[in-house]
Amino acid sequence: MTVTDERSAFYKNTKVAGFDDVPFEEKERLFGLVKADMRFPDYLYGCYECGICVAACPSARFYDFSPRRIAQAAAREDIELIYQQMQEDVWECSQCFSCVRCPRGNNPGGIITILREVAVNNGLASAREALEGYSRIIYKIMSTGTQVSPDMLQPDAFPDWGPEVKDVSDNLDMWRRALPPETLHTTSTGWDVDEKTLLELYLIWFHTGALDMISEVDEGLHMILQEVMEERLEDAGIEV
Amino acid sequence: MPIPVDALLKKKEHFDRGEHDPRSEDFHHELFKLEEQGEWIVHRAPDPIVPVETKYGVIKKIPKAHLWHHKSCGQCGHIPGYSTSIFWVMRKLGYDYNDPRDQTSCTAWNYYASATSNAAAQAAVAMRNFAAAYETGYFPLIHCGTSYGHYKEVREELMHHPELRAQVREIMGKLGKQMVMPEEIVHYSEWFYAMRHEIAAQQVRDFSGIAATVHPACHYYKLVEGDAIYDPDVYGGQRTAIVTGVAEALGAEVRNYSTWFDCCGFGFRHILVQRDFTRSFATLRKIERMKEEADPDVVLTHDTGCVTTLDKSQFAAMAHGRNVGVPVMSEAQFAALAMGAHPYKVCQLHWHSADYRPLLEKMGIDWEAAWAEFQQDLKRLESGEKQYLTWEDVG
Amino acid sequence: MPETIAVIGGGPAGLEAARSVADLGGPVVLIEKESFLGGTPIRENYAALTPNMESAEVAMGRLVDGVNAAGVEVLLEHEVTACEGEAPDFRLTVKGASGERVIECGGIIVATGFEHFDPGRETQMYGYYEHPDVLALQDLEAMLKDHNVVRPSTGLPPERICFVQCVGSRDRQIGNEYCSKVCCGVASKEAIEVRQQVPGCQVFIFYIDMRMYGYWENQIYWPAQEEHHVQYVKGIITEVLKKGDKLLVRGEDTTMGRPMEVTMDMVILSVGMEPSAGTRAMSRILGIEPNKYGFIEVSNPPLDTVSTSRRGIWACGASLGPADLEDCASSGGAAAMKALAFLRRKPVPVN
Repeated sequence: MTVTDERSAFYKNTKVAGFDDVPFEEKERLFGLVKADMRFPDYLYGCYECGICVAACPSARFYDFSPRRIAQAAAREDIELIYQQMQEDVWECSQCFSCVRCPRGNNPGGIITILREVAVNNGLASAREALEGYSRIIYKIMSTGTQVSPDMLQPDAFPDWGPEVKDVSDNLDMWRRALPPETLHTTSTGWDVDEKTLLELYLIWFHTGALDMISEVDEGLHMILQEVMEERLEDAGIEV
Repeated sequence: MPIPVDALLKKKEHFDRGEHDPRSEDFHHELFKLEEQGEWIVHRAPDPIVPVETKYGVIKKIPKAHLWHHKSCGQCGHIPGYSTSIFWVMRKLGYDYNDPRDQTSCTAWNYYASATSNAAAQAAVAMRNFAAAYETGYFPLIHCGTSYGHYKEVREELMHHPELRAQVREIMGKLGKQMVMPEEIVHYSEWFYAMRHEIAAQQVRDFSGIAATVHPACHYYKLVEGDAIYDPDVYGGQRTAIVTGVAEALGAEVRNYSTWFDCCGFGFRHILVQRDFTRSFATLRKIERMKEEADPDVVLTHDTGCVTTLDKSQFAAMAHGRNVGVPVMSEAQFAALAMGAHPYKVCQLHWHSADYRPLLEKMGIDWEAAWAEFQQDLKRLESGEKQYLTWEDVG
Repeated sequence: MPETIAVIGGGPAGLEAARSVADLGGPVVLIEKESFLGGTPIRENYAALTPNMESAEVAMGRLVDGVNAAGVEVLLEHEVTACEGEAPDFRLTVKGASGERVIECGGIIVATGFEHFDPGRETQMYGYYEHPDVLALQDLEAMLKDHNVVRPSTGLPPERICFVQCVGSRDRQIGNEYCSKVCCGVASKEAIEVRQQVPGCQVFIFYIDMRMYGYWENQIYWPAQEEHHVQYVKGIITEVLKKGDKLLVRGEDTTMGRPMEVTMDMVILSVGMEPSAGTRAMSRILGIEPNKYGFIEVSNPPLDTVSTSRRGIWACGASLGPADLEDCASSGGAAAMKALAFLRRKPVPVN
């Protein structure tokens, strides 16, 4: 295929990258958001294609995934390829940051963090798909200030983890009361969190826009979270 | 002048970093400079401290006592023996601590896994926790490897981006909290490393027949890699010294394997919604390699995600006839067992998946009797005689 | 005004500078801290020189003979400890076994050279201090000179050996952001020598870019591939670990676009150049500006390759930065010429 885009001869060909139904201006706008992020200049310098990031990357061994291609596409500002990566590749990264061994000082995992946030903030299909089945987890961390609580260890959720998962869920209440640390007797949260602490957390979500991000990928979840948080804040007499 | 091989080997025996490594610049100067400028309060590490060396020679202060336990979601939720062991060892060594309710998760789940957060939210969550610790007078000790790595990242971002500091300051103002940055961000495994000789002094079980492999957590030593403990006596100072230092101090034999630097495959999102990746990685790249090359009695690590991944991935892999079946635990639980802790009341091994009973037998622990004792305690809870198991009950 | 020129450092650049001054009839003193002349190629037992494959010992020997024949005053086992005065009246204090003495000279030429990057400081996990079979370029040079290329762990010849390029160079994290210029050529030369001395051994070179300028391209690179079947793989290594009795190297084969893990018998790290302790000391003692890497800064690049920040003092060879032997010969000669011109004709023209 040698059809050339008028704007730049070296952008990945739209028909090969896919997503040619999305206007170029939209793809350009999204990359603009990535570049404007405060963290971006710390995460991307130049790339001399040495491959150390791929050598160290666990996801590269399992998926057709390459942190080098992520860094190179961003360095070259190949709008088409970057959009494709945002839709297809970025959720394969395991966020281990082995790629931070980059001798140029790049952080491909960090670039991916920004790409993902832009995908979430703009309701891209990849973000919605990746977070499908994940809403329970987001709900737990944002509303209770802890994650992977004891009551989430259910055999139907983790059948592959072993028979003790059933033992845990069968004996949950007693096994939690059998823990000496006083804060760990909870079952619906990892530890016992103060009400005041939770309200402070909710205020952080409101004031930083983290709550609003959810509305783009899961409207139902966003609504529930907003309700729960606003209600508790109201009860405590705090206005947002 | 021909050089015999012996002379060559001798030359490679000892590594001396030398003074001309530009990375030996000390970030603490920047922390204190910002304090002078009124940007934040630096929460000083309280005495008594143990000074340890980090990768490029900068000294890190590890406080022995007055610690504020910044707990880990997954530890407290799914492997509570891990957190319990940390508290238990600290109590046994006689150091006071604070186990706060005024603590949220670092919320890195919301950042690395789902990307439903942003730099400002993460920094604000971190600073809120640091301020909460400061208000109690106790110094933060971070339980989770990811929290630790993430907070180091947040520290870098806040040091170098005044606009982020301003944004976070405004939010802290709304919460009525001060801007506080700890002098050091200390991981609990760094405390265990600093205290390893005091721990060994109270060892009552013989670990000389125990072979262990060590898995270091990516987020501990790959994020802000200069701020991690390195010790010339452990791996010649070429690999991070935590966990291995403790295992060796307890007399265990630490064995090498060829995927030491590999990630365990936790992946955050992956272990929940794309488990084939996590399971494949943990089995094929870590557990099988360890078994083939080192045949350990136990796998030791120092992060919630790593313990979870390496432990829980083995069951399904066994169904596929893979070479798995080695217990996984934190060095905190390992150290607690060395000091005589009850395997169920303290180390809570019944929450773990891979079979740990052969290991307990090698340690000289009658696990059947121990389980019976634990069952007795559970009966007392069931009957209503006691509401909770207490520190006095577990010894 | 004393007419003597002092040359500090008796390696290739210093030898060339000293002999050039003497050839032009100028009195010259050569100060060398070791007990022998010839510099790093002799101290580190280099085998053949790049690219002409002449024995380092023989080539350096010729330079030394030239210096002796020209009547240069050579002070072995002496070090410069202090410098007073301004050009053209310097007073250099040198210390040696026989005590201290002051040399009055009109001009000074610094030729204190480089040292090899210590792989223990590398950001990647190469295990130089952990694995006996991981070596650096100069370690292999010594073995090649001795015609004794063996695995240090077993004493047996290797069957598979690889070179890892850019160790300690081109790296923002380590701080050595420059390219060390000679390592691609030297590694390829050593690869050829290994193939000649151990014909059954497979040799690989893992690289980011292959940098062999000018004639080195067809004098070394092409023969290495075409005649000696050295395998070049684009993609650098990040980890070296022990696997059984072999070494496991992990990299990316970027041509194939996928991660790669292979076993080797020996791994040779192509370490870069850093300023030597002598170069750092001279910049301090003589008060000449170093650049941010600690090499001597030239004051008027690119056309003046030898003048330092201080009048009457020049630098040559690897004290200025990564240099090959041609650079050493050229800058040694240029420094000698400029120093003599300064003493015989004032003012010194600026390029």
